Amino acid sequence: MRHMTLALAATALATALSFGGAEAKTLVVGVADNLTTLDPANANDTLSGGAARTMLQGLYGFDSKMQLEPLLATSYETNAEATEFTFHLRKGVKFHDGTDFNAEAVKINIDRVRDTKVPTKRQSLVSMVDRVEVIDDYTVKVVTKEPFGAMVNNLAHAGLFMISPAAIAKYGKDIDRNPVGTGPFMFKKWSGDLFETVKNPNYWREGYPKVDGVTFKSVPENGSRIAMLQAGEAGFVYPLPSELAPVVSANQKLEVVKVPSIIIRYVAMNTMKKPFDDPRVREALNYAVDKNAFCKVVYGGFCKPAEGPVPELLKYSGVVQKGGWPYDPAKAKALLKEAGYPNGFETEMFAKNNSTYIRAMQFLQQQFAQVGVKLTVTPLEAGVEAQRIWSVAEPKDATVQTQYGGWSASTGDIDWALRPLFYGKGFPPKLFNVAYYKSEATDSGIEAGIATGDSAKRQSEYDAVQKQIWKDAPWIFLTVDDFLVGQAKGLTGAFAAPDGGLNFEKAEFK
Amino acid sequence: MSDAAVIASPGVRSPLREFWRRLRRRKVALGSAGVLLLLVLSAVFAPWVAPYDPTAADYLNILSPPSAAHWAGTDAFGRDILSRIIWGGRISLAVGFLSVSIGGVVGIALGLIAGFYGRWLDSLIMRSSDVMLAFPGILLAIGVIAILGPGIDNVIYAVAVFSVPVFARLVRGSTLALKNAPYVDAARAIGVKNRWLMLRHILPGTLPSVIVYFSMRVGTSILTAAALSFIGLGAQPPSPEWGAMLADGRSFIGVASHVTFYPGMAIFVTVLAFNLLGDGLRDALDPKLKNV
Repeated sequence: MRHMTLALAATALATALSFGGAEAKTLVVGVADNLTTLDPANANDTLSGGAARTMLQGLYGFDSKMQLEPLLATSYETNAEATEFTFHLRKGVKFHDGTDFNAEAVKINIDRVRDTKVPTKRQSLVSMVDRVEVIDDYTVKVVTKEPFGAMVNNLAHAGLFMISPAAIAKYGKDIDRNPVGTGPFMFKKWSGDLFETVKNPNYWREGYPKVDGVTFKSVPENGSRIAMLQAGEAGFVYPLPSELAPVVSANQKLEVVKVPSIIIRYVAMNTMKKPFDDPRVREALNYAVDKNAFCKVVYGGFCKPAEGPVPELLKYSGVVQKGGWPYDPAKAKALLKEAGYPNGFETEMFAKNNSTYIRAMQFLQQQFAQVGVKLTVTPLEAGVEAQRIWSVAEPKDATVQTQYGGWSASTGDIDWALRPLFYGKGFPPKLFNVAYYKSEATDSGIEAGIATGDSAKRQSEYDAVQKQIWKDAPWIFLTVDDFLVGQAKGLTGAFAAPDGGLNFEKAEFK
Repeated sequence: MSDAAVIASPGVRSPLREFWRRLRRRKVALGSAGVLLLLVLSAVFAPWVAPYDPTAADYLNILSPPSAAHWAGTDAFGRDILSRIIWGGRISLAVGFLSVSIGGVVGIALGLIAGFYGRWLDSLIMRSSDVMLAFPGILLAIGVIAILGPGIDNVIYAVAVFSVPVFARLVRGSTLALKNAPYVDAARAIGVKNRWLMLRHILPGTLPSVIVYFSMRVGTSILTAAALSFIGLGAQPPSPEWGAMLADGRSFIGVASHVTFYPGMAIFVTVLAFNLLGDGLRDALDPKLKNV
């Protein structure tokens, strides 16, 4: 018996090894964290959504440029007020358990996520939905309570992936361990740091999937994750820390893929506190920071200066200033003098306490010093940060002077990049406007932008809002990140979207 | 004759000369002392010795390997690592000396009192020391930092606190032995007051063991302070403290190992030198090891 087990193990090992080579058929993905759930409606993290994406799909999805791409719906129409969205569904699609995908399934899924009795973590994505109407088998209409122009984007989020109604009925709460979708791969096993799927032979997209399965392995230690890639144990590794990128590039069998992201880096300045209540001071600090040097020092060169308050890849974003806010320390000094601070001033900066953030703050400290501003750097542990910044009930009690941070709008729509951070009614603890920035023009623009489904109208509202924010400068607008992915040469079709969402639908070894 | 080395009496070599005669023969200890002297001098004269400003960033020249212009290379901000190590030496050496001095003074005082008066005072002080000794040093230091808050000043107090009990115990032991020595009895007989007795007649006798322990302890303190800075509790950026430099550089270890190598070497060499010097001092000061 023991010999048999050994023989089996040897065979398994041999199989595993052959998968590691050039003729590999299962794609192994090395990631940094464990998955939290396989029910994306209850996932807070982008990674779990990415794992679910191998098996489950939404009506729409995002391509590698964060643009909407039809998946289970083929097209949609909306009324002028942006309150009614009619989706035409793809025909002949079946869930992995054989259940038909149809309008009824869509209704059951949306209703599941927006159900207030059994709240899901992603309920806010569809909280504005009033009702879902089944028009016929392949047509479904979503009606919202108030105009909401970003509806299709919200439905494209991982939280609204479609799950087999039969499986929802059968597994109930345990659906997070028994996902049944329409995707290119079917669930096999999930335990701790290992998640495995196998090819779906009946996948609706002709000719796909090209690999036999996708396996996720969670390896938190950066070095070990890169070692897996080097040893051929993994074919795709995300994230790849910028300081280790040269190690991967140096290997002939591997390549580093740079992904422009929708993550913006900024310093929010508390506009209610002296000296940041003076716009000249805020402008001065924008002039004081060399964004290109920031990229180089903090992110190993893998980012670029922010050209507006919103990352360029988001829909309706616009370039406010080509090349970003110019670096001009002389002008910064002049502005500070004009504002009554000829000798600068002292201030404090909060941020998370990971090593990249600390490096960023040190860099800013050096840049501020050039114009006479003495910066004290205070890295905060996540719990302390929540207490000092995000739980402060009254703006006047806020102790934050400046905060270094980052933001990723994972619905791919500009509303979620503006409202949480610049809306006058979005001060902590409600949302994340830590600059305590309030402007009539910005607020009304944000409200008007979401109140219509008309692209041209949204575009013009958001253009004005972005210009206004840039002019008011509640932030030091720093950079937009590039992600790094390490992968085996010859792997195509696998990608991390600009929000960090992983996608392996069209993965192929060549 | 054997006791004559401790208390100077006419006709024999003074204790200092005797000490020097023995230390002179320990080449390793002398070498270590030389290294330490060099470190101290470079720290004291840092503004003149260091080739660059330790905080001056050069973004065109980041993470460059050692070269003629930058002997130890540059770090993630393009700062000269050698200059930072030299300036960092000020911090590390100061933390080492100050913390052990504070701990030493308090510990010696407590040890003298405990040993000299005995009874309940002795029990109180020694049992408190035992409690403190039960904690690993670094854990106790982290506890102190947790109360006082992060910062290099607080690291000094934290390291001082865990140096106290060892000094106290050491001095108490010597005091117990010395307080019944004939010369102390003699001094007491002619009416010397307790305080004078402790300071003038007993304290000097305890010094050999204190000096040995002091030199070794400075090394340990530098290591502890670096460890505390490494985990973010000690020196804050942009301080060139050695442990903080290690923490700064650790993410680059795969691509630019010099960023961690040189500060690591600085810590290693300094701590080793203090320990070797301590070994040599012990051999030179121990009266039992006469004429070896």
